[in-house]
Amino acid sequence: MLELHNISKSFPGAKALDGVSVRFEPGEIHALVGENGAGKSTLLKIITGLYQPDSGEIFFNGKPLQFRSYRDSLQAGIDIVHQEIQVIPESTVAESIMINNLTAFGHGGIIVWKRLYAAARAYMNMVDLIIPPDTLVKSLSPAQKRLTQIARALAGQAKVILLDEPTGALTEHESGNLFRVLRGLREQGVTLVFVSHKFEEVFSLCDRATVLRDGRYIGTHPIAELTPGSLIAMMIGRVFTDPHLGKVNVNQERIVMSVDNVTSHGRIHEASFDLHEGEILGFYGLVGAGRSELARVLIGDLPMDAGRLLVNGKAATIRNIGDSLYRYRIGYVTENRKEEGLFLRDTVRTNISVAVWPSLRHWLTRYINHKAEDQVCHDTVRSLSIKTPGLNQTVDNLSGGNQQKISVGKWLAADCDILIIDEPTIGVDVGAKDQIHHLIRDLAQIKRKAVILISSDMPEIIKLANRILVFRGGRIAGEVQDVDNPKKGYPDISADIGKFLR
Amino acid sequence: MSKDGKEARALEKRTVITGRTIGLMTAALILFGAIALVSSTFLSSYTMFVLSRQIAFFTLIAMAQAVCLVVGGMNLSVGAIGSMCTVVLGLSLSNAGLDGWIAVPLTLLCGAIAGLANGMLIVKLRIDSFIVTLSMMFIFMGLRSGISGGQPYPVPTSFGIVGQRGFMGIPYVFMVMLAVLAVMSYMYRNTVFGRRMLATGGNADAARLSGINNNNMIIGANVLSGLLAALAAVLWTSELGSAAPETGDSWLIVTFAVAIIGGTGLKGGVISPYGIFMGGIIYTLIRHGLIEMKANPYYMNVYIGVLILLTIAIDRLRERYDER
Repeated sequence: MLELHNISKSFPGAKALDGVSVRFEPGEIHALVGENGAGKSTLLKIITGLYQPDSGEIFFNGKPLQFRSYRDSLQAGIDIVHQEIQVIPESTVAESIMINNLTAFGHGGIIVWKRLYAAARAYMNMVDLIIPPDTLVKSLSPAQKRLTQIARALAGQAKVILLDEPTGALTEHESGNLFRVLRGLREQGVTLVFVSHKFEEVFSLCDRATVLRDGRYIGTHPIAELTPGSLIAMMIGRVFTDPHLGKVNVNQERIVMSVDNVTSHGRIHEASFDLHEGEILGFYGLVGAGRSELARVLIGDLPMDAGRLLVNGKAATIRNIGDSLYRYRIGYVTENRKEEGLFLRDTVRTNISVAVWPSLRHWLTRYINHKAEDQVCHDTVRSLSIKTPGLNQTVDNLSGGNQQKISVGKWLAADCDILIIDEPTIGVDVGAKDQIHHLIRDLAQIKRKAVILISSDMPEIIKLANRILVFRGGRIAGEVQDVDNPKKGYPDISADIGKFLR
Repeated sequence: MSKDGKEARALEKRTVITGRTIGLMTAALILFGAIALVSSTFLSSYTMFVLSRQIAFFTLIAMAQAVCLVVGGMNLSVGAIGSMCTVVLGLSLSNAGLDGWIAVPLTLLCGAIAGLANGMLIVKLRIDSFIVTLSMMFIFMGLRSGISGGQPYPVPTSFGIVGQRGFMGIPYVFMVMLAVLAVMSYMYRNTVFGRRMLATGGNADAARLSGINNNNMIIGANVLSGLLAALAAVLWTSELGSAAPETGDSWLIVTFAVAIIGGTGLKGGVISPYGIFMGGIIYTLIRHGLIEMKANPYYMNVYIGVLILLTIAIDRLRERYDER
């Protein structure tokens, strides 16, 4: 049994954890839920010795633990499967699983492969990973890599395994397999701590749930006593009575984009929908279900193999993002803000104005009009209330919320009529999240843009959208209308969405 | 705060002189003062003339490397393009008897085409710039040896004016370099093409998602690199008074050394043309100082290596100190 007592941890300027106490029992799958910034990651890092708590104690089977490093936690039998899949691409599956005890299979530093493979296979069987042990890790699917990591934890004789959003890059089917493996481990008395944002997973898999909010412990309850509504209420600190930001005023007369049977092989199959002026159309589904893929097909980042696309009533051919931006005024705010949304080492100015440079240059001298550029940037900073000391600030130094506003701001500066916003509040703190929600709403309602909102955060999508397309297995599985109807509550709409996910 | 971020901001603040350039200037001044103290001939106008020609030359070939580094690539064939262009220049001036006004543009075109070939291969075959330009280095070097047979071509005396003469003690070569620096600086600071190349080098994925065609940026940078290498080859031929096929053989290492001393980011996205100019000055002074001190010529490269490391180490330390 793993027990945390009064754990506190502060970082400069923020209290990440404030007196958190939890007990994780053997043979249970224990969900750890909370909003971004609630302290889940910090807690996992303290349990695995990556951070040292400022105060508080950890007991494992009654004995106090003091970890100085991840190695200490491995030795004690506690391992973690990280959110980002961490593997060594050029090694074999067997090596990856046995990485912490490779020396046990050798004579004087030379590995006896046969013995290594045999030992690895035992653990691979435990997680249903039925492939040759000498397969190279780089050729595995994300799901198989996940299983490899879990097998590694088992090979290290882990009695406690922490899983941080383990279904991240997995398809629904693969997630199902993973859950079967996890249930098997539960039978063997392993303690599984499961961090997830996905309520379906928490409710179908876990035995108990602990909620954190703003670094504080809110409570631990058996899943059977919880409903999605009560769980959300614990997470956000108030009862979820008012799920909407209000009725979305859609101009049904003006269809700005019409998608007709669009197919991209292996990604999206025969997707059709219309998008109207002033609309906020939600794309809901699991990762890999086709939401982001469809978005990337629409902006020309992925190939469109069949189907038709109309923008403002005219047939549109979009071969690359240059086309989508400069010819059709479609902007795409990526979900991977840091990796592909921003030039982190560059200034606020460059990040906002990058897409408008061509329109600011002199035809002969090619000189970018810096005054006009600064004007655009200042306007954007003001209208989105971006907190920055100035346009010369390096974006890396801003908070997640402000960074997100900048990646949206880039497309506003470029005067896009259609905005596709992918997971707008990932890694954004609670306050900024609300601001971004109002920003998205104002885009549609005041600036009369058409917005496609992609999110796996159900409360978020219900709060903002007037219509939700539910994606499943590369298809649009169904459409939930009338989402912004004030008479409908969160449970009604989430039930409607849920119907299409089964 | 990252040093790269700082450099980027400096470029955007539209200041020519950055904190880093000031650091490099100080280093150059110290070197200059030290050599002036040791040597009696150093401050003569003749030495200054010769050294400023070297500075111009090193700065130009380093720019040819830096433009590729900016987009996150490199050009290992920069010297090979220089050699091949020298042969093209020699052929058109002596064998074909063309006028300089035709031969030089032809040579520059040849350099641009060589760069275009590099760029197209990198982009179309999606092969790393290291591999492409390494292979192309062999091809260009083979072409220059095959065509020339290793023999230098004579060029008309009049062709030497730009390389050998100057105005008011300043070599024409140096003026050409200053013009190139000004154009580069303008391009990276004020034009869409320049800023997009910086964006591609800074974060290629973000650039793509901002509507930038990264392939065009990579091709453009390589064409520019070939063009600059060809220009350096022309100037060198003019200075030497003959078109020597082995012209570019020693360039490669120098281009990296000068570009890095000048603060060009090896990961892309960062360039300071005036920093590279300072790099050219420092590299030239190090070499010259060693000659003045009568350092053992066989060990010359050891000293150069140590001094380059020292320069960069001091510069990085200064930067870390600045960050506090």
